[in-house]
Amino acid sequence: MSLEQFKNRNVGVQHYRMLDLSHTPQTGWGQFKQVVRRTLSLELFVGLKVTLREMTKALFFGKMHTTKYPFEKLPVGPRYRAIHEMKRLLESGHYRCIGCGLCEKICPADAIRIETAYGEDQRKQVQEYTINFGRCIFCGYCAEVCPELAIVHGGRYETASEQRASFSLFDDMLTPIDRLKEQKEFPGYGSVSPDADKRIHKTPLAY
Amino acid sequence: MSIREPNKTITVTIDGQECRGEWGQTILQVARANDIYIPTMCYLSKVEPIASCRMCVVEVEGVEGMILSCQEKAVDGAVITTNSDDLYRERQNITRLYDVNHPLECGVCDKSGECDLQSKTVEFGVDQQTFAARDQHRPVQDWGFISYDPSLCILCEKCVRVCNEVVGDEALQISVGGYKSTIINTKLDQQCAECGECMAVCPVGALVSTDFKYTANAWEMEKIPASCAHCSSGCQLYYEVKHTSIDNPDPRIYRVTNEHEFSSLCGAGRFAFDYANEGVQQDARAFDQAVTALRQADTIRFSGVITNEEALLLERLREALAVRLVCDDAYGYQRFLAAYRSISGSTLYEASLKTVADSQAVVVFGTRIYDDNPMVKYHMAMASKHHKARIVYLHPMEDARIQNLVTQYIKYEAGSEEGVAALLAATLLAGKTVSDPLAGVLDNLDIGNLSAESNVGEEELDTLKRSLWKKEGFTLIVGADLYNHPEAENIARFIAAIERYSDFKVLIVPPATNARGVAEICTLSEAVEGYTVGYNAPGDFVLSALGDGDLDMPALNQQEGTLTTVDQRVVPTHPALPYEGYTLNQLANALGVGSRYTIDQTPHLPRDKGYKAIAFDDLPDYFDALGGEHRGYLLSPGEVETRDVFSEIEELPAYDGLVVYRCNEGSAFGPFDARSVHRKHEAVLKGSEQFAVAARLKGGERIRFELDGESYERVFRIDTTLKGTVAIHPVWDRGLSAFALSSYRFSQLKFETTGNE
Ligand code: SF4
Ligand code: SF4
Ligand code: SF4
Ligand code: SF4
Ligand code: SF4
Repeated sequence: MSLEQFKNRNVGVQHYRMLDLSHTPQTGWGQFKQVVRRTLSLELFVGLKVTLREMTKALFFGKMHTTKYPFEKLPVGPRYRAIHEMKRLLESGHYRCIGCGLCEKICPADAIRIETAYGEDQRKQVQEYTINFGRCIFCGYCAEVCPELAIVHGGRYETASEQRASFSLFDDMLTPIDRLKEQKEFPGYGSVSPDADKRIHKTPLAY
Repeated sequence: MSIREPNKTITVTIDGQECRGEWGQTILQVARANDIYIPTMCYLSKVEPIASCRMCVVEVEGVEGMILSCQEKAVDGAVITTNSDDLYRERQNITRLYDVNHPLECGVCDKSGECDLQSKTVEFGVDQQTFAARDQHRPVQDWGFISYDPSLCILCEKCVRVCNEVVGDEALQISVGGYKSTIINTKLDQQCAECGECMAVCPVGALVSTDFKYTANAWEMEKIPASCAHCSSGCQLYYEVKHTSIDNPDPRIYRVTNEHEFSSLCGAGRFAFDYANEGVQQDARAFDQAVTALRQADTIRFSGVITNEEALLLERLREALAVRLVCDDAYGYQRFLAAYRSISGSTLYEASLKTVADSQAVVVFGTRIYDDNPMVKYHMAMASKHHKARIVYLHPMEDARIQNLVTQYIKYEAGSEEGVAALLAATLLAGKTVSDPLAGVLDNLDIGNLSAESNVGEEELDTLKRSLWKKEGFTLIVGADLYNHPEAENIARFIAAIERYSDFKVLIVPPATNARGVAEICTLSEAVEGYTVGYNAPGDFVLSALGDGDLDMPALNQQEGTLTTVDQRVVPTHPALPYEGYTLNQLANALGVGSRYTIDQTPHLPRDKGYKAIAFDDLPDYFDALGGEHRGYLLSPGEVETRDVFSEIEELPAYDGLVVYRCNEGSAFGPFDARSVHRKHEAVLKGSEQFAVAARLKGGERIRFELDGESYERVFRIDTTLKGTVAIHPVWDRGLSAFALSSYRFSQLKFETTGNE
């Protein structure tokens, strides 16, 4: 379809309504009169009233509304899906990821790669884990599928950098061990439901 | 499973559907053949029904209670229900019991995604555990190449059965103790066959490969159907590939699996998959040199580890360039087959792996079968276990590893095979009507003398003869010791005569992966002459898939094509890994005889040799619901003109003193197998204590000796399972020169000691 055809295509019956606007002056004299009228009635200052008020507040009362990005940042909502975080177990500090590979499997963008091995502690060890943020579409599936609540979305939304690799490796995403106490549970997409305790049955054990 | 049952058809009604089956089939088999699903947990088609899980229960009209469909034979006219509320509840309860205390570790388990317990748990909706059993401390056991996790084990017994009934190794046992029951490996210190069959049939993650463990998940790997390239059985397998690592997207083979329900693999097939010629780029200069070399070549020497298509290309090159083809792996075999055919009159021998397994008497002659072809040995084990078959093993060296299967061991002197063949023929054909020339030879045999020279007692032959009484299904397996014997052709005639005039079927085991294909397709010469181009063999210009030649070639797991197996079957194989370099077909193209792709040759394999004009992509490659093999096709039989000529037996050669036997001990199949990091073999000269005394050698001493113009320096080890004065001399570690040996396998040993290891 050419542009011309596109513009003239049949889009059905439209119900447009004309706004009731005053006439635009047609003659030079008419325009002159309009300028004089607007100037004398100080219409400009009506428009600037709010600006001036806020300027006064900012200049003399220290009440500033502008966020001084990048020196200041707005908090993001808990369900915001930005750069992933890898959580640790609160008790032992061990990373939570068990290397099940479900996130790798589910990722629709094929952004995740994981390498695992049999560790000396007889556990499945995550040797390397990476998310290609050039591909990730921040859909949150990985966080949802993760059976361990190990991978979640964080609030880190600044993904422009010279080297994407600089924040896409396991260690970059993992909660630093010295900041384990500050680790917060992710309440958003894929986290346990608030009534989980009620719905989970305890497995009887005998030793 | 007995072979005497008539092939009568029966009709039963399963879930309202009329189903046809054969008399003697179980309900489960009839159901499966008719595409009706009955859940099972412990059923394994290739062994006798285990009946430990009770999952396969069905209801039969007029019969009280539930019936195990895996065991119960279908009776004509029976009305069977495979699914009802009662049956569902029964199966659900079984699943519940399996799930009690089962570790919740699907997240990391290697079996996850293809685990029978997982599937059944979902199928029967077991989503919680309401009771518990007292938990035990059950640490993971390291069996070397396999690790066993008793807490994941559901005690289905498949592993035990497969080890006993199929592999014949009897390494695994079930230690019964109620909830404490586990599987124990009784051969941990003597080393079991290390075939990994137990691991393959384990329905859960209790038995897993130690090298593979936790490196990849079942669902990530692409399964590439292929045929094993290590010996002439060409077993069905899947190479499972996935990217190498995060920064290397090139595919890597992580493990080998197979249709374990119906077919098996040995350790080489399962673990020696990492022999590809990797990282090869097209080297145009080397290619031009190779073309020039081929143009000026007098001989092309090659190994038997090659596809049929490549063999055909070589044959075309032979015609176009007027060169000699030399294949040390196949030459003796080709001659042996020709001599065999001159008596049998048929291009095909009558036995197959299946006839071995169905036999009630198996005679093995001239092969250390455990190492030459593990799959033949598996089928001997099946014959032994399923039909209580007599297994008579004739060889100069007893093999302790198959002692449990062999019912009679007949030792003969190295070199006396011709006499033994004649004695066998005389024994097995006594009282049968045979052709005049044969009768002449047999009547003229100086039995006493032959018996004395070969050391095969007449009583032993009598015992052999008597043990065949009232048996049905006889197989005679002959192997690589015979093909390069100086009197190979006469031996072949005696063997053929046994097949022709008795009930024995003969299996002539090819000595290398595709020795049979080469023997059919190529016109071979005995020895090299002049300028030689070697293809996976030594030469003046070497094309090598080991990566050590003048031009690189793809290994068999990087190629597509077909192989001709011991079953006289043409099976397809597919490339698991990419290969960027040049192929034989490209060389052939440069010389005017190739085709667009190597597999374009497949339909042109020689029709007069039994090959069919079927395009590669049309070859079937699957097993049906009851395990019927539909891989490629069987060679068509052809007739050969017979020439009833036997030679008189001259003096038998004597091998006095110290003798070595060239054999790849431990089923190590040569240079490709040797590249694998997953298999641990030691290339040492192994002899008995008696040998050590006779040779005045101590274990650990290093000796140097020369055989077939090759010089070897080997550490000597005493192996207490061996007897006599024959030592085992492996050559799998010798690179391409291992493919250039065509001498008789026994030789006298002269050596000098060169110190200690
Ligand atoms: S957010 Fe979506 S696209 Fe990104 S890594 Fe997770 S699953 Fe893949
Ligand atoms: S889904 Fe969770 S536990 Fe599994 S590999 Fe991904 S991050 Fe690790
Ligand atoms: S054996 Fe099967 S059910 Fe058990 S943990 Fe492994 S995958 Fe899960
Ligand atoms: S190890 Fe596997 S095959 Fe053997 S009994 Fe246990 S579950 Fe069955
Ligand atoms: S028996 Fe031969 S073909 Fe079969 S897996 Fe072993 S080496 Fe491979």
